Amino acid sequence: MKQILLITDGCSNVGLSPVVAAAHASSEGISVNVVGVLDHGDVGELGATEIDEIARAGGGLSRLVNMRQLSQTVQMMTRKTVVQTIQLAVQKELKQVLGNGAIEALPPDKRGEVVRVIDELGETSGLQVALLIDASASMKPKLAAVEEAIRDLMLSLQARQGKSEISVFHFPGSRNGGDCVMDLSWTSHLNGVQAIFPKLQMGGTTPTGPAIMHVIDFYRQGDYGRQSRDETDGMMSGYVV
Amino acid sequence: MATSFKVELRRGMVVTGKWKHGRYKVERLLGEGANGKVYLVQRDRNWYALKVGFDAIDLQSEINVLQSLAKQKKQGQEPFLFDVDDLYGPDGREYPFYIMRYVLGSRLVVYLKQHGEEWFPLVGLNLLNKLSKLHEAGWVFGDLKVENVLVADYGHVELVDYGGVTASGKSVRQFTEMYDRGYWNCGSRSADPGYDLFSFGVLCLQLHEAKRLHQLTAELLPQNRSAAELIEIAEASAALRPIAGWLRKAFAGQFHDAGDAAAAWRHLMHRRDTHRPSATPVWLKGLAAGSAILLATSVYWLLRNVL
Repeated sequence: MKQILLITDGCSNVGLSPVVAAAHASSEGISVNVVGVLDHGDVGELGATEIDEIARAGGGLSRLVNMRQLSQTVQMMTRKTVVQTIQLAVQKELKQVLGNGAIEALPPDKRGEVVRVIDELGETSGLQVALLIDASASMKPKLAAVEEAIRDLMLSLQARQGKSEISVFHFPGSRNGGDCVMDLSWTSHLNGVQAIFPKLQMGGTTPTGPAIMHVIDFYRQGDYGRQSRDETDGMMSGYVV
Repeated sequence: MATSFKVELRRGMVVTGKWKHGRYKVERLLGEGANGKVYLVQRDRNWYALKVGFDAIDLQSEINVLQSLAKQKKQGQEPFLFDVDDLYGPDGREYPFYIMRYVLGSRLVVYLKQHGEEWFPLVGLNLLNKLSKLHEAGWVFGDLKVENVLVADYGHVELVDYGGVTASGKSVRQFTEMYDRGYWNCGSRSADPGYDLFSFGVLCLQLHEAKRLHQLTAELLPQNRSAAELIEIAEASAALRPIAGWLRKAFAGQFHDAGDAAAAWRHLMHRRDTHRPSATPVWLKGLAAGSAILLATSVYWLLRNVL
């Protein structure tokens, strides 16, 4: 199972529409979840609509939360999306039994069996979550909470019986180029990772769409990402499209 | 796509099961959990609790746990799960529900307020025994917190909201941050008996030092959350000091299982100083001293007269 989890606090303003990018992800079998982080006010109507639409296009969930709820929300969304992904797959498999209906159309006795399978697969299937963090200037004071949420998510995933990996990206890249930078390649633990976001240079633009495309590419290239981590130094840790 | 809507049932409404046509009259809302609402309902003059879920898959997975538990129950014990069905909400949508035994009881905090702190050691023991039984059957409760414990007469304890109940060894299905072992940097989120015992420890703190506990969660940086901080609260509290040693073991995961933890708890209960007020009242001490002096004086006079 593949997921992208986007954490942002506002609207994209450069490049490809993030809704189109999320639809691309969905067609590659990657679910896109979006968390909108509020500080005092809100993300604005435009931001809220975009967040909702990205998740819809990406077949995932969206939530607007304040920083205190971030860890719990990220953890809960990831879990729910796992169940949902498997539910959709099982529904497809059972099409002959279910017709076009959902699992809800089964009588409760039979539902029990199906849900047992869903739960089991949800616990044991391999899972990859690519975290994509909006690091535009307004997000700066929130990055500590984001890092905490990432560590908390890793803790939850480590408790699963299946193999779980996360990777971390942020956007925009440094001042003069790059939509997206990789901070951490696929890993199943954060032991020894002191800081996930060391000395970020906060950019002014918010290229959410291009950044999602970048992560889809990373997924496509699979093992390439793994190798690049070993072969590059700090400067290059995050190959640029 | 599974989207959840919040259903609301009103007093006097009659709910009819879609598949088995059971009819239930709604009396009132009993509580709300993470994945559904619980109502008091009536059928054939009997009271039951009805849990209606926001999401069919989510609720079914809880029902599966309850059904496995029911199968494991020894004969002669009261049945717990009575009916599983779907209902049509006032908004016309279908919602899944199940019917369980209605437990008459008060929330833990309310019970101790009404009946007195002196019930706390016994209620704690009963709760540990309850957890121990669940663990023996291969399950971990997961989302243990004050809101999920009901107390009936004479300190009898019931656990409510089985949404977090997880088979041993799997990842805990539902938890509350403040009660979570992982949140305090004290271990994994894998379901094992120690996970519940950790939450039990936090629950003790929540009962006696709620303010300080909440202050701690607000002030501490995530990397500084630790068992030591929790124990510090316990040791500064008159009510918790007698069980501070027990809590230390619970937070460190040093109990072998809940049975072991319950035994240690029972041992504490029968030590004199655990019960508050622990010391003998001053007037009784005075009385004892007085009578001793009186005795000594009379013995002295007696001896003096005899000799």
